[in-house]
Formats: sequence, C-alpha cells, structure tokens
Amino acid sequence: MVEPAYTVTSDSETTGEEKSSTFPEIAIGIDIGTSQCSVAVWNGSQVELLKNTRNQKIMKSYVTFKDNIPSGGVSSQLSHEDEMLSGATIFNMKRLIGRVDTDPVVHACKNLPFLVQTLDIGVRPFIAALVNNMWRSTTPEEVLAIFLVELRAMAEAQLKRRIRNVVLTVPVSFSRFQLTRIERACAMAGLHVLRLMPEPTAVALLYGQQQQQTSHENMGSGTEKIALIFSMGAGYCDVAVTATAGGVSQIKALAGSTIGGEDLLQNMMHHLLPNSENLFKNHGVKEIKQMGLLRVATQDAIRQLSSQTIVQVDVDLGDGLKICKAVNREEFEEVNRKVFEKCESLIIQCLQDAKVEVEEVNDVIIVGGCSYIPRVKNLVTNVCKGKELYKGMNPLEAAVCGAAVEGAIASGVNDPFGNLDLLTIQATPLAIGIRADGNKFVPVIPRDTTMPARKELVFTTTHDNQTEALILVYEGEGEKAEENHLLGYFKIMGIPAAPKGVPEINVCMDIDAANVLRVLAGVVMPGSRQPAIPVMEVRMPTVDDGHGWCAEALNRTYGATLDLVTLQKKA
Amino acid sequence: MLATSFSIVTLTTTNFSVESISSLSHHVKLQSTVSFATARWTEKQQQQQHRHVSDLSLHQMASCTTLYEILGIRVTASDEEIKAAYRRLARVYHPDVAPAERKESFTGEFMKIHTAYRTLSDPEKRANYDRSLIRRHQKPLTMSSSSLWGFSGYTSHKWKTDQCW
Repeated sequence: MVEPAYTVTSDSETTGEEKSSTFPEIAIGIDIGTSQCSVAVWNGSQVELLKNTRNQKIMKSYVTFKDNIPSGGVSSQLSHEDEMLSGATIFNMKRLIGRVDTDPVVHACKNLPFLVQTLDIGVRPFIAALVNNMWRSTTPEEVLAIFLVELRAMAEAQLKRRIRNVVLTVPVSFSRFQLTRIERACAMAGLHVLRLMPEPTAVALLYGQQQQQTSHENMGSGTEKIALIFSMGAGYCDVAVTATAGGVSQIKALAGSTIGGEDLLQNMMHHLLPNSENLFKNHGVKEIKQMGLLRVATQDAIRQLSSQTIVQVDVDLGDGLKICKAVNREEFEEVNRKVFEKCESLIIQCLQDAKVEVEEVNDVIIVGGCSYIPRVKNLVTNVCKGKELYKGMNPLEAAVCGAAVEGAIASGVNDPFGNLDLLTIQATPLAIGIRADGNKFVPVIPRDTTMPARKELVFTTTHDNQTEALILVYEGEGEKAEENHLLGYFKIMGIPAAPKGVPEINVCMDIDAANVLRVLAGVVMPGSRQPAIPVMEVRMPTVDDGHGWCAEALNRTYGATLDLVTLQKKA
Repeated sequence: MLATSFSIVTLTTTNFSVESISSLSHHVKLQSTVSFATARWTEKQQQQQHRHVSDLSLHQMASCTTLYEILGIRVTASDEEIKAAYRRLARVYHPDVAPAERKESFTGEFMKIHTAYRTLSDPEKRANYDRSLIRRHQKPLTMSSSSLWGFSGYTSHKWKTDQCW
C-alpha cells in the first residue's frame, strides 16, 4: 500500500503541490494521563508516537520544582523514584485540576508528598511544592502548563516545525468547568485546543479507522459493529458503547467516574499501614519521606501482583516503623472491592444507556494502565459474558493514537487512501439542566445526547406576581441541584406580573459543533405571539472559580424567592 | 472538483504505464489501485448527486416534511435501511464534515436528521409516529407555543419547519 503512494508521488509532475497539500499544519494528539503521558501525530500514512531524548514514547506526568527551575517528566529523569516523592515534585495534576476543596478527590490527594491544603468552603485548594525547605505555591493549571511546554518542545524538536494546534484526551467525567481549566493550561503553554476528546471516544475513532481499513481490504459492505470500550488509568475509569460502520462511529453512550489506579494504591497503602493518615498529617520532612517509601513499596507490590499471586512487602519507614507482610492477589482484590464494583456498574450503566444487549457487542476493547490488572480484565470479561477481548490495540497508546487521528481530520488533512475518511458522532457525557421544582436538578439536555444538540423545556413562576427568575445552570447526574457542578447563572427580569404558574418561561440549551454551550431563556404569556421581554443568551460556564462557594452564596442570598417549576404540559 | 477528477485519472494513467513493464503480481496491485480510485470517484459522484437531493429536501422542509422524507427513505424501510440512511446523511451534514460556509445551516439539518433517526430507529416511537402520521392527514396542524421562539441561530427554514411538528 505504501509503495504505490511513493511511486505515484515521485512520478507526478505535481509533486511539489502534492507534498505541500499532504502536510498542512497538523494538530498533534496528546494524552496526559494522571500518571503517564504520550504524544502522537499523523505522519502522512499512519499514526506515529513521538519520543523524548531518552527514546521514550510513554513518559511520566509530573513536574519537579527543584532548584527554582521547574522541569517535567518529559525531558528530565529523577535519579531515584524516591525523589519523585520528596515534596518538590507535583503529580496527579489531572486529578486536581478544576476541583474545589470540598471534593473527596482533593482530600485524597492530601496523602501525597506535595502539599494540598483545604479550607472546605468550596474554593480551589492550596497546592505547594517543597523547594529549598520552603513551601512554594502553585496551581494545577500552572503545573500542567509547564508540562505541556516540555511536551511541545519535544514535539517541535522531533517534527522540526512549530506546533500550535492540539487535540487532547480528557476523562468522560470532566465537567465543562474542568474542560475550561484544561484549555487555560494549554493557552498558557502556547497551544490552541482544536478539540477535547473523551478518552473512550478517541479509542472509538481509532477502532473506526481500523474497521474501515479492514473493510477496504476485504471490499466489505461496511456492516455495523458495536464495540464496548473500557478505559481505566491511574485517575479515571471511562466506558463507551459505539456503533461503527462505513467509517462513521456513533457514540451511543458514555459513562465515567473518578476511580483508577490511584485509588487502588491508596487503599493498599491504608491496608498496609492503617494509621497512615494520622501519622502523615503534619507533612514534615520525615513524614514526607515515609509517605514516599510506603508509596513506592506499595506500587511495586501491586505491579507484581499482576503477574504473581503473592508478593512480599518489606519496607523500613524509620523511627522503628517497619512493614513486613506477604500480600496475595485475593487480599488486594478484597481491599479494593468497592472500586472494582464501581467499574462493573459503569459498564452495565453504559450498556443500558445505549440500549445495547451484551450479546449484541461485537468487540470488547480494554485500554489504560489498569487494563493489565487481572481483576479488571476479569470483571470486563464477566460482564460481557466471557467474550474474548479485542487484540488490535496497544492499551497504553490507543487513546493518544485516536487523538492524533482526530488532529489530522480536524486539521483538514486529505489522505488519498481514505484512512482519514472518518466521522465520529459524539455524545454529551453529562446531563445539563437547571435548578427547579424546589431544589431539584432538572435536565434540559440529557446524558448521552448526540452533539450538536438543542433542547428546550418550559418552566413557570412559583409566586404570584413574581417578576424575576434566577436561572442556575448545573451539569452532572445528581438528583439535587447542588450534587452537580454549577456552571453559571443569570437572572431573568421583567416577567409580566401574573398569578403563579401563568407565565411561560422557555429555557433552551444549545451545544454547537465546537462543543460550546449556550443557554437561552425567554418569557411568553399564554395567548400572546410575541416574547414578553428580550430573550437572554448566556454562554456557559460563567463561573470561573470557587463554584462550590458560589452555589452556597446564591442559595443563602436568594433562597427560593426566584425559583421556577417545570410547566406541566396540558393534554 | 473537475480538476480533482482529472488529477485522479492522470495519476491512474501514469501508474498504469509504469506498471505495464512489471510482473503479474504488480498488475494485481495496479488493479487494486484502480479499483480504489474508482471507488473514491464514485463516492464523490454520490456526494455530488446527493447535494442536488439536499437542495430539494431543503425546499421540502417548508412543506411539512415527514421524518421518512428527512432521511430519504420509504415508510416501509427496514432498520438497516434507516441506519444506512442516517450514516449517509451524517457524512454530508455533520458539522465536522460540512463545508465551512454552510456549517451553521448544515448543523441545523444534522440535528433534524438525528431526531428523525432517533425516532424511527426506536420501534415503539416509530409505531407512535406512524399512528400520528395517519392522524395528521385527518386534521389541521396546531401551533405550539414553544415554536414562537426564534431560538435557532440557523436557517429561516427552521421557523417554518417548527410549525409542522
């Protein structure tokens, strides 16, 4: 297949033009995982993973603030893994970005060597690195930006051209607010985000390309194939169900949760040293070292349990604190039973949302670092009635390869052999709605709605002569409003005075092709053909920090005075 | 467009003349290439043809188009035909593949196409829709209040279409 292309190109009189059109400014694909990252690019005929100066395709996701000059896991190499846990190094930034200090995920990060402080009032947490015996503050966005700068430099060195456009993979469970923080970090690194792709959607695109190539080779008719994609890394677990035929992949459902290898690790650390939270809470130099030693030992044990059924843990934490314990696989699985049960429920939920029976699934794809854990493989296989796992993908590279393919497509690359003749019809991972009917979350755009999308619901007033309404926009799956992410708010004013329940307040939500969310709201009185006041259009999210604090303040200030209820349709 | 077709033909011809000196296996490869090139050309022809259809269907949008007409299928279409129609239309109207200057109007069309697909691909919803289709021929349309809104940032046809549902 490659030879004819070469022959044609070299013989063609339009060689120059062909080359210039074949290689426009292509967006690169980036997969920054919670613990590992990689970069890939479409090289004209296939996806190529880029390597750093140490010939590594997969690099660790961290930034060290040693000697006042921050350096990331892309270009530098810590002399010992212990140094990564000295307090000077910040990792897990993907787990921290865009979260408030009441979030349990943030609290779990307080067990890490670098400093995470919370006031528990719904604002961003305080994060600092230990540099020359001084805690120096930073933010997850800044850490991520420093890391991205290094990735960019690596990519530019290897491709020998400037890199500006990127496609990044993101967890399914990321809120729109978190997506804005990712984009902010990219902007700080001089990168323009063409697209943010949920990780299993990127894998679905790669799968679609593979099916397309198979179809070409077989001159097949493009029969529809349904794939279940399970992705579990250090920080997140994501599931997707996709239907693929003729190069068109339709995402039928997505499900995601903030559970991953990091949770397995923390649970095991607590199992090995039950009193660790109390022992380490002072965050002194000695405690940091002890945390680091315990973390490394536990990581090693978990890794070995993927290929052995029993492993010996021997670690001296100092101060007479020693751990000498044999741990077997069953023990590891029991300690993490809830994590694995959550994974299983995500798969079941995703299949149900997609209205797909297990028997209808053609391929089961499992990717991510945790895909090497026997229990993870077993639970996916069990849910899928013992169906054999798809073997056509490298679990650690699939997402970044999909992002690179998307980068090429979004950049307008034209492949003469049709390898980029693909379309992914994406879906919203989370429901979007407003607070109404008391304190309920009323979805306007349900979960798994195909994008682009526009939906509307009609609401009405809750008080006689109510002339204003507060529109609070949330994203998530919780039944109560505050169980979800507050995206933004605005007030409708000038509602004509009337008995409660009479005005019709139409709330429309629109997600455009670029995944931009706009909320529109208007008022009409029954029998009238004209809107009562000018329609309001607000782009979301509007809250740029402290959304937990903000939601609480709004509730305290306004209570239920400006509430709405869903208007019941008259038969 | 014409230049592109011409280029394809030229490349094919060049390839043929080079390969004619080669062995039989190369000849087989050549056939594969030609076949592929033909497939590509056919696909473009189909898309071009479909653009004519789409212009017509845009016109139909103003006259109470049924979901079947939106997808360009018969009322008796099978599930496979519905899926194939959806994919074919998605390849034309999805904003990711729409021409830049028509992205906005095509986005609106894609949402209508998807709504039609979602209704017709669900057996229960399809049955309900078919019944309402029969009833529609028996009584005049009524306008819902929500259709008063010009929330659409899309084509003016959207307004007329709203009145039909």
